[in-house]
Amino acid sequence: MFRRLLYLNGLAITGVVLFHSAGMGFVAMFSWAQRYLPATVDPMAQIGSAEYFGLRFLEQIASFAIPAFLFVSGFFIAVATGKNSQTISWKVVAARVRTLLIPYLLWTFIVMALQILLEGKRFTAGNLAIDLLIGRTNEILYFVPLLIQFYIISPVLVLFARKNWRLFLGVTAAIQLVIILLPYMVYLNLDIPNKQAIAYFVPKWFFLARIFWFSAGIVVGFHLEHFKPLFHRLRRVGVVVALASIPLGMLEWELLFRLSGETWLANRETLVDTLYALALITVVLGFQQARLPFEHGFERLGKDSYGIYLTHFLFIEYSAKVIYRVAPGLLDYQIFLQPFWIFIGLALPVAMMALLNRSPARKWYTYIFG
Amino acid sequence: MDRKAALSAYIKQEIMRNPKAKLSDDEDLLSAGILDSLAILQLVAYIEDEFGIKVQDEDVVFENFQSLNTLANYLDAAK
Repeated sequence: MFRRLLYLNGLAITGVVLFHSAGMGFVAMFSWAQRYLPATVDPMAQIGSAEYFGLRFLEQIASFAIPAFLFVSGFFIAVATGKNSQTISWKVVAARVRTLLIPYLLWTFIVMALQILLEGKRFTAGNLAIDLLIGRTNEILYFVPLLIQFYIISPVLVLFARKNWRLFLGVTAAIQLVIILLPYMVYLNLDIPNKQAIAYFVPKWFFLARIFWFSAGIVVGFHLEHFKPLFHRLRRVGVVVALASIPLGMLEWELLFRLSGETWLANRETLVDTLYALALITVVLGFQQARLPFEHGFERLGKDSYGIYLTHFLFIEYSAKVIYRVAPGLLDYQIFLQPFWIFIGLALPVAMMALLNRSPARKWYTYIFG
Repeated sequence: MDRKAALSAYIKQEIMRNPKAKLSDDEDLLSAGILDSLAILQLVAYIEDEFGIKVQDEDVVFENFQSLNTLANYLDAAK
C-alpha cells in the first residue's frame, strides 16, 4: 500500500499540472481573447464550445489532486507518530515545517522578483507579509501555508484520531461537507443576505477548508487493519464511481454555473468532486496486487512532487505570456496549448531538478525543491 | 556492503543528496528532517527493490524508521 501512496502522489501532481494548464487555457479563452478574436465577438460566447468542455474535462479529472496530497501527508503523520507514542513529536513537526517552508520562501521570492522585474508589480511590507502567510503571490501557492497549518495542528488531530477515530472522521467529514455546501447558496442563486460573504467565508488556504482529507489520511494510517480490507472490497465500485463522477461532475458544474446566473464562477470543490476524490483514492489503494498504469513513471513524479508543485506554474504562466506577446493567434488553439503546457509543466521542473541533482550544488537540493 | 551501510549510502545519496553528509547510526531520521512523507515512501520502494524484502504496511512506523539502527534491526527481523 505504501508504494501506492507514492503512485497516488504522482497522479496528484500530474493532476495539479493538468488543472493549472486548463486554468491558463480559460485565461487565454476569456481574458486574452481580444488578442485573437475580432473585437465584435464576445469572448464569453465560447462557453459551451468543444474547447471549453475540453478544459472543463481536464479540471474535472484533476479535481482529486489536493485531497490526494493532503491524504498522503496525513498518512505520514500516522507513520511518524508510531505505535507507542500518544501523539507526534514536535521535533518531527518542526523538521517537516522547515523542509516545506524554506523552498516555499525561496520560490515565493523568485515569483515576487519576476513580478517586480517583468510586470512592474509593487509590494508593500504589509501585503508582502500577507502574501507570504496565505500563499497569495501566485494563486497556487496557497497549498503550502495550508499544509503547514495541518502539520502544526497535527499533534492535536492525532490525539482525536487515536481516541475515537470514527467520531473524528465523522466530525471532520461534516465540517468539510458544510464548507463545500456553503457556496451552493451562490450557485443556486438563493435569496440570502450576504450570501457571497457567507459562502466563501472559509478561504481555501485555511485548514478547515480541507480538514477531512488530512484527517482521513491520519485515521487510515493508524487503522490499516480496518481500511485495507475496506479499500480492497470497494475497489471495483470505486472504479465505477470514479469514472461516473467525471461526466457527472462536469454536468453538476454546468448546471450550477447556469443556475447561478453569474458570468463566471471560480472553480471550487463540489459534492461530486468529493465523491470522485474518495473513489479515486479507494481505487489506487484498493488494487494492492494489480499493476497500475505507468507505475514507474507516476512513482517517479510522486517522488519529485513538491519541487514540481513549486515550479510548474512558472513555466506554464510565463510561456503563456510569451505566446500572448509573440504569437497571440496560438491562444485560439487549445488543442496545441494544452499538451504543450502539460508537457512543460511536468518536464521542465523534472529536468531542472535532475540538473541540480547532477550539479555540485546538489547538497542544497532539499532547500530548493524540498 | 551490509544492509545498514547500503541504507546509509542510499539515504545520503538519494534523500540527503550529499554523499559526504554525516549520518550516525542513531541519528533520528524523522526529527532531523531527513525523512519526510515522500522520502519514507521512496525508502520503502528502495528496500523492496534492493533487498527483495516486502515491507508490510503495518511495519512502516516511526519505531522501525527512526534511525539506521532501528531500520537495520527491523530488516534483520523481517528477513
